[in-house]
Amino acid sequence: MNRDEIAELAAGYALGALDAEDRARFEALLAAGDAEATAALRDFEGALTGLAAETAETPPPAVKAALMARIDAQGGSREAVVQTLSSVKPDRSRRSAWTLVLSGAMAAGIAAIAVGLVVSAAYDRRLSQLAQEAAALKQEAERQQSVIALLRDPATQVVALSGLEPAPGAKARMLWHATAGGLLVAQGLPPAPEGKAYELWAIAGKGAPQPAGVFTVDAKGVGGLRVAPIEAAGAVDTFAVTLEPAAGVPAPTGAMYLAGKL
Amino acid sequence: MTPGGMAGSHYAHMQPAGTPPARTSTDAPVALLARIAQGDREAFGRFYDAFAGLALGLIRRILRDPAASEEVLQEVFWQIWLEAGRYDARRGSPESWVVMRAKTRAIDRLRAIRRREKTFVASVDEAVTRSSEAPGENPGVAVETKRLVRSALDSLPEPQRRVVELAFFEGLTQSEIASRLGEPLGTVKTRARLGLERLKNILGRA
Repeated sequence: MNRDEIAELAAGYALGALDAEDRARFEALLAAGDAEATAALRDFEGALTGLAAETAETPPPAVKAALMARIDAQGGSREAVVQTLSSVKPDRSRRSAWTLVLSGAMAAGIAAIAVGLVVSAAYDRRLSQLAQEAAALKQEAERQQSVIALLRDPATQVVALSGLEPAPGAKARMLWHATAGGLLVAQGLPPAPEGKAYELWAIAGKGAPQPAGVFTVDAKGVGGLRVAPIEAAGAVDTFAVTLEPAAGVPAPTGAMYLAGKL
Repeated sequence: MTPGGMAGSHYAHMQPAGTPPARTSTDAPVALLARIAQGDREAFGRFYDAFAGLALGLIRRILRDPAASEEVLQEVFWQIWLEAGRYDARRGSPESWVVMRAKTRAIDRLRAIRRREKTFVASVDEAVTRSSEAPGENPGVAVETKRLVRSALDSLPEPQRRVVELAFFEGLTQSEIASRLGEPLGTVKTRARLGLERLKNILGRA
């Protein structure tokens, strides 16, 4: 992907106008730390900020007053949010149920979710972070470079996998390149039981599923896998994840947790 | 100092990169965000004062309705109160962070309104767009006369300006814009890039 192609994605992203696949591709580039993507986006957002400055206006005092009152209702500090939520009146008992089971360190994050972040926006950010974490898991600089190369290659496709019955909330993204292989990033999977692991399958059309690697997830339900190119008759267009014995098996036997198609 | 007081120059907000802010370092926007992330209420108040007008102007340009715009403004800054710790200076200035969040939130609200009303925002030519923003259309709100001053968008060739406006102020995707204008998707993408590159050169802030 050359500078103009990156700039094109960055411009679309800054305008909020990218279609889903382009957006996924660009967010993955940002999460992987691509310097050109980051710089292009920063410049374009700066230009649009300058445009917004042309129409700045004076806000009515009521908005600021409402915000400050809302802060004061929390006890005036965000650290106080957790304590406040856990001692709330009955009509907010749903939120206090969240905080009662959490330690202080995690509660701030959950409190933020409880006050109504848009779930999909939080998920997209998290998934972008996952791409970064999955890349960071590999310590060698050359492996990081190969991930960036994958992301910058316009032939790389992005496949979204959805959670199936065993884990309907699970999601994953597969960055797939026909000759270079790919990168899977998954979230929301339960930890694999003792002696088992998740196995990725790559399927070309109506062909047999090809094993593409095994992975496990961490305590947060997040896992990643760098995938080697697949020898298949025909183009791979479908991916699935099943639960298998930990060493992996040559053909799927266990429950399917995730699936997605190009 | 409020943004509304800048009638003389609508680019007065902009300082060349490297101009030191005329404030102590703890009041610089990046420092304010760090303080807000620690729960500093006073820092939040100052941050609001610095950027709410900028956010509101953009939100109102997108949503038109003053009441809805004020609601979105409040939501945006409430999320800033909660998420100040997520600001990443490598991704841009605090000002850009606020503006982009305000824009995203306003477009989300616009799309929700469209779905509810099952209407599709009609394609408008420049005269109609601007006339609906003139003072008198929204008598309850003081619209700064800056709006009638030349915009940097005027410096763009019409095809680029159209794409930028449809995307940024109306929330259309590139595919939707291509459909609307009857142009190939690749043309729309190129115009978006060229339009923003030109704006970047004119407005020159990071």
